[in-house]
Amino acid sequence: MPEHPTSSWQAMQDGNVFYRRQQMYSIPDKFPNLSDYIIAGCRYGGPLALMRDHTKLIALGKASPATTKSQIQIFSSAGEGLLSFSWDQGRIIRFGWTYDERLAVLNEDGVYRLYDLQGDYEQFSLGTEAAETGVIDARIHEGGLVALTGTFTLVEVKGWQGGRPLSLANPGLSEPPRAWAVIPPDLTISRHVEVLLSVDSTIYTVDNLESVDQRLSRGPFTHVSPSPNGKSLALHTFSGLLWVVSTDFQRSMAEFDTRSVVEADGPVRQVEWCGNDAILVTWDNAVSLIGPFGDRLQYFYNGPTFTVTENDGVRIVGPDTCDFIQKVPTSTLSIFRPGSTSPSAILYDAWESFNQRSPKADESIRSIRLELAKAVDECIIAAGQEWESYWQRQLLNAAKFGRGFLDLYDPTDFVNMGQTLRVLNAVHYYEIGIPITYAQYTYTSSAHLISRLTARNVHLLALRVSDYLSLKPDPVLKHWAIAKILKSRPKIAAVAQEGELGGDDEVCKVIVEKFQQLGGADVSYADIAKRAWEAGRTTLATKLLDHEPKASDQVPLLLSMKEDRLALMKAVDSGDTDLVYQVLLSLHKRLPLGDFFHLIEDGGQKLAPASRLLQVYAREQNREMLRDFYYSDDRRVESAVLSLEEASRATEPAAKIAAVKAAQRFFSEDKDRTFEAKMMDESARLLALQEQLEKGAEGNVVFFGLSINDTIRMCLMHGLSKRADKIKTDFKVADKRFWYVKLYALTEIRDFENLEAFSKSKRSPIGYEPFVRHLLSKGYNKEATAYVIRCDPPKRADLYAECGDWRLAGKECKERGDKGKLEELRKKCPNSMIARELDQILSSFK
Amino acid sequence: MASTGHSTSQNDDQFTLDVTLLSEINRKLLVDAFNSVNGAKTLVLDPALAGPLGLVTEVALFKQHGVDKMFWLEPGPLTSSTPNVVYLCRPSIKHIKVIADHIKRHARESRKHVYTLLLVPRVSTLVSQILEEEGVLGDVNIGAYNLQFIPLASDVISLEDERAFKEIWVDGDETIVFDSAQALTTIQRLYGRFPRIVGKGDCAGRLAKLLQLQSPATANSDNSAIASDKIDCLVILDRRVDMITPLLTQLTYEGLIDEVFTIKHSHVELPTSLLSPPTPAGAGSSSSSTSANVSVKKESKKKHHLTAMSDPLFAELRDLNFSSVGKRLNKVARRLDENYKTNLQSKTVAQLRDFVGKLGGLQSEHQSLRLHTGLSELIVPHTHSEQFNKSLEIQQTIEELISQGADLRLVIRLLCLVSVTSGGIKTKVLENIKREVLQSLSNALKAYGYEYLPLLLALSDPSLAMLLPNPLPASMVSVPLAKYPYTSLRKSLRLLIDDSPEALEEVENDISYVYSGYAPVSVRLVQCIAQKGGVLSNPAEKERANINDDILSNSGIKAQAHPIVGWKGFEDIVATIPGETVDMVQNRGISSPPLVPMMHSERTTTTVVFFIGGCTYTEISALRWVGRQNRGRRFLIATTGIISGASVIDSIAGIGNAAGTKGIQ
Repeated sequence: MPEHPTSSWQAMQDGNVFYRRQQMYSIPDKFPNLSDYIIAGCRYGGPLALMRDHTKLIALGKASPATTKSQIQIFSSAGEGLLSFSWDQGRIIRFGWTYDERLAVLNEDGVYRLYDLQGDYEQFSLGTEAAETGVIDARIHEGGLVALTGTFTLVEVKGWQGGRPLSLANPGLSEPPRAWAVIPPDLTISRHVEVLLSVDSTIYTVDNLESVDQRLSRGPFTHVSPSPNGKSLALHTFSGLLWVVSTDFQRSMAEFDTRSVVEADGPVRQVEWCGNDAILVTWDNAVSLIGPFGDRLQYFYNGPTFTVTENDGVRIVGPDTCDFIQKVPTSTLSIFRPGSTSPSAILYDAWESFNQRSPKADESIRSIRLELAKAVDECIIAAGQEWESYWQRQLLNAAKFGRGFLDLYDPTDFVNMGQTLRVLNAVHYYEIGIPITYAQYTYTSSAHLISRLTARNVHLLALRVSDYLSLKPDPVLKHWAIAKILKSRPKIAAVAQEGELGGDDEVCKVIVEKFQQLGGADVSYADIAKRAWEAGRTTLATKLLDHEPKASDQVPLLLSMKEDRLALMKAVDSGDTDLVYQVLLSLHKRLPLGDFFHLIEDGGQKLAPASRLLQVYAREQNREMLRDFYYSDDRRVESAVLSLEEASRATEPAAKIAAVKAAQRFFSEDKDRTFEAKMMDESARLLALQEQLEKGAEGNVVFFGLSINDTIRMCLMHGLSKRADKIKTDFKVADKRFWYVKLYALTEIRDFENLEAFSKSKRSPIGYEPFVRHLLSKGYNKEATAYVIRCDPPKRADLYAECGDWRLAGKECKERGDKGKLEELRKKCPNSMIARELDQILSSFK
Repeated sequence: MASTGHSTSQNDDQFTLDVTLLSEINRKLLVDAFNSVNGAKTLVLDPALAGPLGLVTEVALFKQHGVDKMFWLEPGPLTSSTPNVVYLCRPSIKHIKVIADHIKRHARESRKHVYTLLLVPRVSTLVSQILEEEGVLGDVNIGAYNLQFIPLASDVISLEDERAFKEIWVDGDETIVFDSAQALTTIQRLYGRFPRIVGKGDCAGRLAKLLQLQSPATANSDNSAIASDKIDCLVILDRRVDMITPLLTQLTYEGLIDEVFTIKHSHVELPTSLLSPPTPAGAGSSSSSTSANVSVKKESKKKHHLTAMSDPLFAELRDLNFSSVGKRLNKVARRLDENYKTNLQSKTVAQLRDFVGKLGGLQSEHQSLRLHTGLSELIVPHTHSEQFNKSLEIQQTIEELISQGADLRLVIRLLCLVSVTSGGIKTKVLENIKREVLQSLSNALKAYGYEYLPLLLALSDPSLAMLLPNPLPASMVSVPLAKYPYTSLRKSLRLLIDDSPEALEEVENDISYVYSGYAPVSVRLVQCIAQKGGVLSNPAEKERANINDDILSNSGIKAQAHPIVGWKGFEDIVATIPGETVDMVQNRGISSPPLVPMMHSERTTTTVVFFIGGCTYTEISALRWVGRQNRGRRFLIATTGIISGASVIDSIAGIGNAAGTKGIQ
């Protein structure tokens, strides 16, 4: 049985408050001598980054290899080396951790890099101004950094996306501040970063608008340290006074003379907050925890330490152990505090009695019946505060025991706590080395924890955790796939060309299978493919892209990979015409025209939709290109049609004729289009003829652009019947049609004489009924009647009637002896006079 | 018999899908789009959108949301008094150039405006590219107004895109297929996933694939993840599958109105005299002449909104074969007349006025009817000649028609019809006819005969294959299945039913009633999926063997609709039609076997029939008829637009475009 929780407790403030020191890891000889190094620690149980402090002398040849280059090493809190890399850029000014556990390293030239735990980095710069004046110091917080330039001005960068550096108000310094700190924007009232500079005896507060002198007189300060919640500020003077004030400098909260610590020796190393209400001061050989009322707890380490402030305590990395010091949480206190009579303490006691089969258990439970629910909850919460799984289990069991006595109880909290503790214990394991507490975990969220796990390349654990917490596996899978691609790179490079293809296939297959198996349906293959491409693995990227369901994501990458044909193909397959246009237009811009056309033409049937879209576009916007396109592809018919379109737009006769002739040439080059060629030839001839006719008519008649029928008609209407006949023979106009045209034309100009003559010129190929009908429709009944006699005999009676000549109709009937017809007419006749006449004829029938 | 069933079913059956929801969405999106621009604005509207927008909203709504003035989007200067200028248009290159011109003009005159371009239905790269080429990209905020299906009737929704047919099969621009997929995805989001997609035709295949691709991306948390319980199937028909039907002259009442007067976006232009008989307002509103859209009114013609929602008589008439319209009107008139007489004696003046009003509305219908009779006399003979399908005769007719100078569209329609039904026209004959066409056609637009050559070429292009020589030229033999297997379909799908008097009964009891003896291929195909019995024999006839005549449609003892099992039973026939055959089951997630529950439940399900490239009013009527034959299945007809033979030919000929360019010059 691990030692009782209270064994690590130490009382403060006359036994009212307890602080505890829990050992997280035992790490003898894992770290080098910390006093020789500059160290940056990451919150939430994150790793430490170490760089040798060149201002200190060090004995050669011992643990660390002597290098002149700067080298940064990263260790987990359990002392496991995670990464080490050397720095070949300008001198490092400062390094620190971002919220997503990347190490930001800033050099004197204002260049900063963000390293992930795999050693991959992004590089950004603070701009040319910072580069010119140089950067002399900086403070890095989770969401950005503030740099102090060589001219003592402050420059801020928000976020880690390489945002533009912003200048803060100029504090007007003439020398660097003695000490300084920043309060991150999410902890200030203004929601903008606040910089605290120790200048002379006072502190300047600087934000992006103004620089305010707080008019203090106790400075200068060696340490300026804001609390994790940004509300209080710990100041340490050269005279050894530790002074705590509120960050608005309105209240003085505590004072403590550090010189009173007798164990201490030499200057103060660190002034760090333990949670929000105590301060940990460290020396090379001593560690003191100073409470809000000047109480002090002394901790012993046999060497230099490094401390990292957490939201709920402070982490200390010493030569042999990694410890966590925090104020004992209320729930734990109420259960384990000696002599506690709180319901939760009694519940815990009852459970212990129950385990020992003591009847006291029942008695205890009865005594807290009314507050049992609260006691159960408190046990659950307290379980989350314990580091040792033994005590976690004990407390949860106590809660479970108490729960049995409740009628109604929502087990959600219990289940959640159990799950969370399993996850936390898993990541606490020294190989993972994330000593995150329950409070920190709830603060940062489970997704954050999973991303930290993936960043350490422990994908299996991350996957199991997300599966266990019913989170989507997508982010893990995505990271895994990218890591897989990057990892498989060296192996591939060694193998020959053929092997490389095989390797790509294999990697792609592995990734796709894994995704399908684990249901990572929403992972964007395009993102992964992009990384593969950036890693120089084009084939693999292409293969991965094949699996991307959203064409709109595939195409842009393919375009930037210069996989033009494939991009076009994918765009066409997507059915999204806009995407096709996107590819076409960008290719048109980038490629020489010939190559562009080739690409489309070679696509054949598959790229036909793209080709047609290009034509639609070009027809409106770039006809010149369209003409070239048709020409280069030997598309005679389309070229001809294009010419025809131009012909119909042209107004100038010469241009029109030229365009038609061009169309004719194109058609004649295609042996299947002889008919069309012939037609175009006719068309050109007709246009020429019409031009001539117009000249002849001295501009009084418009011929140009009419059809053959209309040309003939116009000729007839303007007394050019010879010409009309000639056109008929020249253009082989069918007899029937010619007759109709002439009939219509002559009727229109009421040239009934000529019509008569025309009708008699030869036997009408259309018969004479059309004559009658057309004349009737134009209202020339009298003229129409004359043609009835030449129509088919059976129709005559009706036609006469339609002409309104009922008598002739009747006569016709009589001649043909058609009594039935006559009776029919009789019924339809319009007035009595006609009726009588018809009756007369009818009566003559015998 | 079928027709008596009709009037009742319209009122009785609660339509299971509420398509007014779509109207609401369209309206809300429009309001959001307007509100995204602050302050008073000048709206510049694409004339092609006026019609669809008229169906979505009223001008008043524009005013409410800060639209100060409205202009058509057309070439020429634009004077705007408001700081904001909002363009609302489809992303066509022509429009964008006009807009760029406006902006450049304003810049020259140093007038400051904030330009917002709302594209329908979505933003396009092409537009930004052109704006960039014109150098004004930086001055324009580009947004989108996602106008999707517009309900035309309680069972018809349409994208109202007139260009669909031409763009797909002439230009090869399949944007509309993608847009359709988007719109259908919206439907899925509202009503749940289509459990099954059945279709025919290459575009139908592509659309089905797109639908499958798109659904997983949006399948989180909304309806589209779950198979719909209201819709049992989506039937996608590609217009190419049945080119015959639109070429025929429509014979239903609504169809014929479209043929004669052209219905555009449910509005038809009628002579004022027809619409203005003294109808006291508010009297049953049998002819509501709403002029919802901002149209430039012509003097002698007036727009009339044809809708069954406010015009019960129209609802009764629209699906009837024209030949029985007269009978029906007569009956209604007589009944009204009797009512009128009895009421004359007893009732108050107010009620009297009511009746007079109704009669007035009726009269207007009568008048329009008289017009139709005259015009239909001209058209009907052609359909008759088609029915007997003696192609030689028609070829002569065509030449005759050309000689007489008949309308271009009529000639082309007949020509295509012959080609499609008889598998091409003999090369020599075809060339002769083409020659005739080119030499003579003119009057329609005062265009030049030879300029129709591109039209003829487009029609004979393999992508349309509407006008083919026989035998095919060497270059086209390789194209698979360019020929339409009309002859075999005629038998296997019972397309033609003799309209001799003995067969008249039969015609009335089959969808072929709509064409007086010809059953549209498209509707037969839907029957192959949703009413298999109806393809083989008349459902009504079969039932008559058991039950007595007249009860069957009124009594409600109709056969329960069978569940959807795809093309089963007709695979071979369907395979002979060119184009891809689609049949996929979409039951991801909840794996309810789609066959079983339908059999048990008495619920009415809806089958969505989507036409890519448009459908005719007659097909809608025929589908309504199919829907009435069975219990438990309704049809929701979705289409890219309403077409007719004339509008198809017009769009291929680019008549709209030609007019546009004329305007510029």
